Amino acid sequence: MKRFVLRRLGYAALSLCMLSLMIFLFVRVTGDPTVLLVEPGASRDDLAALRTELGLDRPLVVQYVSFVKDVVRGDFGRSFYYRTPVLELYASRLPNSLLLAVAAMAFSLLIGIPSGILAAIRVGGWWDRGGKIFGLLGLSMPSFWVGLLLILFFSVYLGWLPSSGSGTVLHVLMPAFALGWYFAAAHMRMTRSSMLEVLGSEYVKLARLKGLPEALVITKHAFKNALIPVLTLAGINLVLMVNVAVVVETVFAWPGIGRLLYEGVAFRDFPVVQATVLLSGSMIVVVNLVVDILYAVIDPRIRYER
Amino acid sequence: MRLFRLACLTAALCCLALRPVPAAAAPEGALTWAVHITLAPTFFDPAETPGLITPFMVLFAMHDALVKPMPGQPMAPSLAESWSLSKDGLTYEFVLRKGARFHNGEPVTAEDVRYSFTRYKGANNKTLKERVTSVEAVDDRRVRFRLKQPWPDFMTFYATPATGAAWIVPKKYVEQVGADGFKKAPIGAGPYKFVSFKPGVELVLEAFEGYWRKTPAVKTLTLRTIPDESTRLAALKRGEVDIAYSITGALAEELKRTQKLTLVPTYIPFTSWLHPSEQWDPKSPWHDVRVRRAANLAIDRDAINQAAYLGLAKVTSSIIPHKMEYFWQPPAPKFDPARAKKLLAEAGYANGFDAGELSGDTVYGVALGEPAVNYLNAVGIRAKLRIMERAAYYGQYQDKKLRGVLYTGSAAFGNAATRLDNYVMGGGTYAYGSHPDIDGLFTEQVNEMNPRVRQQILHKIQQMVDERAMFIPLMEPAFLNGVGARVDNHGLNVIAGFAYSAPYEDLRLKKK
Repeated sequence: MKRFVLRRLGYAALSLCMLSLMIFLFVRVTGDPTVLLVEPGASRDDLAALRTELGLDRPLVVQYVSFVKDVVRGDFGRSFYYRTPVLELYASRLPNSLLLAVAAMAFSLLIGIPSGILAAIRVGGWWDRGGKIFGLLGLSMPSFWVGLLLILFFSVYLGWLPSSGSGTVLHVLMPAFALGWYFAAAHMRMTRSSMLEVLGSEYVKLARLKGLPEALVITKHAFKNALIPVLTLAGINLVLMVNVAVVVETVFAWPGIGRLLYEGVAFRDFPVVQATVLLSGSMIVVVNLVVDILYAVIDPRIRYER
Repeated sequence: MRLFRLACLTAALCCLALRPVPAAAAPEGALTWAVHITLAPTFFDPAETPGLITPFMVLFAMHDALVKPMPGQPMAPSLAESWSLSKDGLTYEFVLRKGARFHNGEPVTAEDVRYSFTRYKGANNKTLKERVTSVEAVDDRRVRFRLKQPWPDFMTFYATPATGAAWIVPKKYVEQVGADGFKKAPIGAGPYKFVSFKPGVELVLEAFEGYWRKTPAVKTLTLRTIPDESTRLAALKRGEVDIAYSITGALAEELKRTQKLTLVPTYIPFTSWLHPSEQWDPKSPWHDVRVRRAANLAIDRDAINQAAYLGLAKVTSSIIPHKMEYFWQPPAPKFDPARAKKLLAEAGYANGFDAGELSGDTVYGVALGEPAVNYLNAVGIRAKLRIMERAAYYGQYQDKKLRGVLYTGSAAFGNAATRLDNYVMGGGTYAYGSHPDIDGLFTEQVNEMNPRVRQQILHKIQQMVDERAMFIPLMEPAFLNGVGARVDNHGLNVIAGFAYSAPYEDLRLKKK
């Protein structure tokens, strides 16, 4: 077990190293950020002074070594645009993203799981067909469009909800719906397929042969087991919701990490993009690491096989 | 009798002077903006002013400058009540206004001015500091700037949004809290005090009743960041905000149609144009001035303006904005495709020619470059549009790696000379070639202290640029904004060349 955990930790560290190098190089491929930090037509002197100030005049290798050294010390640099430490920015946005992600996750699970179960126990019925349409719409309708429709309907026409911003429960409803919509469809599909698999298993057949009521078979025997892959997916989706709600956060002016990333990309704010991607990547790596270790604890075959 | 009249007049004047002046009404109400960009704490410190107009949205509220643009005056005395230039052109002396105070009650002193200049490190810092040898606080109210040599553009750089060096911060307070502390709790000498800032959400300001110019009428200002323009318009329609910046295209049309909302265009010193970069290559068709003139005649600027800016932009035939100092008015642009074809035929291209690529950036390159390509194609100048990401595009532009026709624009502050320096002069940041006679004239005006002589030279240069059709100017784009029903004075378009609401102390809400 110890070797297994060490090996997994090694993979995790390697993944993060590769991610740091890739994101460092990729942001630099996109061009010179100084031209976006001044009005078009700025003088060469001004641009050169800005490059020096931001440390972009140094060789790439020097910049990368300095970046890695700082990251190891927990310093992700200063934002080119905000001129404040990136970690401070990230920390100030994280609670908003967590709030939005939790609300969106609650919405997606509340919609996705019951509708997935109903679709699975009435295969081919109207509920199943409706669920398929819902799944298709959820996965294909872009969240920015859903967001704009919500704003038009609930803010402009009905005047019930604030169109954007944060601070009250009312502010979180529309962005949570717009963000959770896609994931609700994904959770519905996963619940449906997982339930179908479990409902076809031998122990469920046995439970039915024993004469247990169908409701009990579904809730006690099938649902619990079908839930495991759904929750695994939901865990990873939660990390995604926290970190990549770029479009929804922009449409609703929600001050989260997604919007920070959007601003970072728009202004070629290298430190912001690097930190956001690296920290998001770290979250995913850590979640996967924990899941791997938990699987190995639960099922010893896994640690022997790998 | 004369003495009696004089005594009566004096008495009357005294009565007038001593009569109780109605106290300025206390500020009341609140105004909220939907701002298109994310406000950054760096905007709160004038020392870090980047080469963007955006921070001035905040500076005009929280801070004040010795001299700054104001309604009807591109360089209005503000914290400085006057200034003078020595005969040798080497010393500027500013006299500070009596009674000007920072939000913490401390008076604005000459030492604060000196300190603010010294700590300035924003846009054009090098240009400014290279030419200023020293700044002295002569006494509490007088400050002297000594220059290395006469520099006619000192005030252009010091007293306009070209830099933030003239915006004054309280020395004692900044030293006490440090630069980062200052950005967290800024104190200035402007009409509004800092109340709170939530990064990515909003900045809240409150009226400073001790502001020297006047007591602001509106008590609370909130600048709320809403990056998506559809959402900004929704917030304006719903009355969540009073003014929404940057509403474009179809949304601007919808705004125009909406009752109780007003569409207000503003203008910054921004001009857009096409740059035939191959005009310096004798083998290129663009080398022939007739081809460049044909391209100028081929484009229907009014139609593009109508489609992109609802007709609210200003079509132009110069790369210099019409409000910029030393601007020379060229003949108005014409749309004459028949004449364009004739010129092409005279140049030996009766069947047109393959003009390669017309490159542009993702922002304006699409909106203006695409229709321009279509118009060029229509007369036989066959070009293909190539859109590049903005950072990459301008990087390659500066490195002179692009070929063909380039869409470009400039919103850099300064005057006609600074713009010509970047785009027309040999070695200019964006110049792909130059004419020795124009370069010679430009060198002549660099140290010319007589504004009339300098104007003559700069006008001559612009005339030569026009005659040689070095560029295909398109328009000065409009920045479209929405104003809600509660607002009486929105402050938009009041200060020439400034995109946002200002001066904030003049803004008013309608009476209920």
